Amino acid sequence: MKKVLMGDHAVSQGVRLCRAQVIAAYPITPQTFIVEELSEMCADGRLDARFIMVESEHSAMACVIGASAAGSRVFTATSSHGLVLMHEVLHWAAGARLPVVMANVNRTLGPPWNILCDHSDSMAQRDTGWIQLYVESNQEALDTVIQAYRIAEQVQLPVMVNLDGFFLSHTAEVVDVPDQQQVDAFLPAFTPEFKLDIEDPHTFGAMCLDSNFMRLRQGIQQAMDQSREVTVQVDKAFGDMFGRYYGVVEPYRLDGAETILVTAGTVTSTSRVVVDSLREKGEPVGLLKIRMLRPFPFEWIRALLGEARQIAVIDRSISYGLSGGLAAEIRSALYDLEGAHPQVFGYIAGLGGKDLVPEDIEHMVFQCSEQRRPPREDLWIGV
Amino acid sequence: MSNELAADPKRLPPASITFSDMSWNRTGSWRYLKPRFVHKISPCNSACPAGNDVEGFVFLTGEGRYQEALQLILEESPFPGVCGRVCYHPCESSCNRKTLDEAISIAGIERFVSQYEPLHPTKPEKARQRRIAVVGSGPAGLTCAYHLAKLGYRVTVFEKATALGGMLRLGIPAYRLPRAILDRDIGRILTLGVEVKTECCAGRDVPWQDLMAWDAVFLAIGAHNVASLGIEGERLEGVLAGTTFLGALNMGHPISLGRRVAIIGGGNTAIDCARAALRLGSQPLIVYRRTRDQMPAIEAEVEEALQEGIEVEWLASPVSLRSKNGHVTGLECIRNRLTEADEGGRARPQPIPGSEFTLDVDGVISAVGELVDTKNLPGNIRISGLAVEIDSWGRTSLQRVWAGGDAGTDPRMVVHAIGAGKRAALSMHAHFVGEDTAALDREVRVGPNGYVSMQRYLNRDAIDVKAVPEVVKPEDVNLDHFEPMDRVGSRTIDLNERVRGFSEVNEGYDEQAVAQEAHRCFHCGACDLCGICFRFCPDLAIKMGDVPGNNLLDEFYCKGCGICAEECPRSAIVMERER
Repeated sequence: MKKVLMGDHAVSQGVRLCRAQVIAAYPITPQTFIVEELSEMCADGRLDARFIMVESEHSAMACVIGASAAGSRVFTATSSHGLVLMHEVLHWAAGARLPVVMANVNRTLGPPWNILCDHSDSMAQRDTGWIQLYVESNQEALDTVIQAYRIAEQVQLPVMVNLDGFFLSHTAEVVDVPDQQQVDAFLPAFTPEFKLDIEDPHTFGAMCLDSNFMRLRQGIQQAMDQSREVTVQVDKAFGDMFGRYYGVVEPYRLDGAETILVTAGTVTSTSRVVVDSLREKGEPVGLLKIRMLRPFPFEWIRALLGEARQIAVIDRSISYGLSGGLAAEIRSALYDLEGAHPQVFGYIAGLGGKDLVPEDIEHMVFQCSEQRRPPREDLWIGV
Repeated sequence: MSNELAADPKRLPPASITFSDMSWNRTGSWRYLKPRFVHKISPCNSACPAGNDVEGFVFLTGEGRYQEALQLILEESPFPGVCGRVCYHPCESSCNRKTLDEAISIAGIERFVSQYEPLHPTKPEKARQRRIAVVGSGPAGLTCAYHLAKLGYRVTVFEKATALGGMLRLGIPAYRLPRAILDRDIGRILTLGVEVKTECCAGRDVPWQDLMAWDAVFLAIGAHNVASLGIEGERLEGVLAGTTFLGALNMGHPISLGRRVAIIGGGNTAIDCARAALRLGSQPLIVYRRTRDQMPAIEAEVEEALQEGIEVEWLASPVSLRSKNGHVTGLECIRNRLTEADEGGRARPQPIPGSEFTLDVDGVISAVGELVDTKNLPGNIRISGLAVEIDSWGRTSLQRVWAGGDAGTDPRMVVHAIGAGKRAALSMHAHFVGEDTAALDREVRVGPNGYVSMQRYLNRDAIDVKAVPEVVKPEDVNLDHFEPMDRVGSRTIDLNERVRGFSEVNEGYDEQAVAQEAHRCFHCGACDLCGICFRFCPDLAIKMGDVPGNNLLDEFYCKGCGICAEECPRSAIVMERER
């Protein structure tokens, strides 16, 4: 059924359709609407779940980890400082191989105090063992939540669904909310092989000092590797059932493109407009939307970007002392290519909610094609 | 976990989860401290001179088990209807809830349950042959008779007046204690087969010598003699003693009061006299030598009197009476100022020279205190100060003679008289069965105040392993588990209605209000099955009991972390070193 929904509420609807059983969350702007709506659903019976109020995001994550270990389908949502407060327990969720699904509404970190969008919060969690997906629209947010559970439960890794604060979270657009029956058919009940059971006590997270530790760590990396293909399959199954496909990356007008923009999140939509208008003027410009950041889609990057002359990567965050994180990763992916490498222009833009307008993106495209070689690793837009 | 998985060393689980059952190393093996579910003494229980299990009856009331609540009160006191109305409730003054908002209205709860019938009719446990004479039928005498009768003794009460009740009937006006309520409490005592001789004054109608031949005597003659004002003209027409006035009023005798009546004193008698005079159509004026915060009367009574428009001349002492044709026409007073505190902690009033003034009155009621009639007592009984000397068990200097209440050296409050009556009954019983009161001191006294509990006495063979003789202090209560909640006010009848007659002023609680008030109770030191320990235990090592205090500990899993004891809202769990 089509509804006009804000991004936060689209996420709530997705969680409801997935029949999450335990939800624990702490409010933080711009995430709060998600759990506010979910708590109302729990209260009025639309969702048969235990909603646990907690005193911090750290506790929220700890709660859903416990519930997930006990065999429940769980959900939490957070943003910004809430996410970085969870950092310790994010490792726990992945290390314990628990299919926790979390929505992170991207918001910058203070100080200076700022509640607006950039990707500093989730980019800082890339090493925690979580699958990270970035969405472009409210519809994609809802759909990705549903996909996330199926991916997470199949590979036994937690999934973080990232949506841009305010641009999506607080902006309403038409969203097709799937039928419960269809979602039930798409997403089977969660039946883990191992779960906490007081009738059959085992130690979970037991100490492990020998080579088994290495094996378990390698197991996480293998699951990450596996999750690329699983995501492709899940996305295909989803598309076949619901008519919407997203992929792990989305190539847009790449045929014959000499300059390719690389984006994640809502800047993708703006970039589509720029690409269309420049193509009309005959400029050979294309776009690659990164939907899956973890695991990193090496093969797709190499295959789709390898032939370009210039790559303009738009990072909505910075790894201080390095460059934009996504730009660095694109560079590393392209390094092993045979022959000539595309030049990677790493743009730092749109931090702390700074508007990223078509003129900014056009400027990047022209700068790339004129200069041919990036003057340095980080190029700042809008300073 | 499947054995096939455990048998295949190449197949690791995805995370570090042990194959084997961990029951060989359950968390209980970490423990060196162990929680124990205990029953401490709540401050209200410790503060009740009648030895009531206050926390217990409030709990039962909150559960809607009114008959059981009343039954519990009747184990200790036969006067729930009376105490629910006129007690100065030291239990409430000691209530730990004061640290959060306000004490709970224990009196209001007691009053509410007093209207029910007890679960089981009160009857003697077995017949005993010993005969005991109780002299005086006030709260002390009747409580003593009640407990002795319950224990099976043959009791006869000697009462000088025409009806039973002592000061409850003669001294307390009906607007505070309706006669029907008093009659109901007394009626319950009489069903035990207590013999009553009214209009029979010990020492006059029955010689003391005869009474001394009984197996035991309890002197509860009260304090009915009037203290003198010590000024000229006390015998003038229009001058009345407070107790005389109230006695005549309460027994329905004709009284002629003046139009403008001065009441001298600041105790409960003075307030009762003033409010009664107002209801009889007079204009009362209280003359009190100190200030309001020094008044010994119950604060709520003072407040109600002022609401009713009764005037008070503060810091004034009577000097002399004016008269015309033998009838009082005025009261000359002198203004006081307060100086350093006396040994009782109250500031001493000191007359200011030259500050005399005269109040035009045509009636004066003196209510400056009541005295024990020490002239009419068994010969050579020892007197201490102005009352019969008694020890901590109510024994006098005479063999087989006990005393208590206003006649003894107890505080002059109804609830202390009730405690004194019970104490004497228990002490007599111990004497007859040859029990040592030193042992009883340890077993039947509740907390440091030493008030006596009959329940404890009767159940002392059933050792309560949970009992801990420690009173719960305010800081022992975990306030994090309580929300502030206003004390439920008691409704009073309309002010105009009040001063027009002797209808009861307070209407008491209805069922909804009493439930709300009972649920404000912290249940200090007593499990009420709130489940906080169960919910906070990280090891699911607490199994909820079916009745309060019966929670069980799973010793295989309790690792002795102490969270349950820390979280327990009411300090009913202690951590102890394991032996």
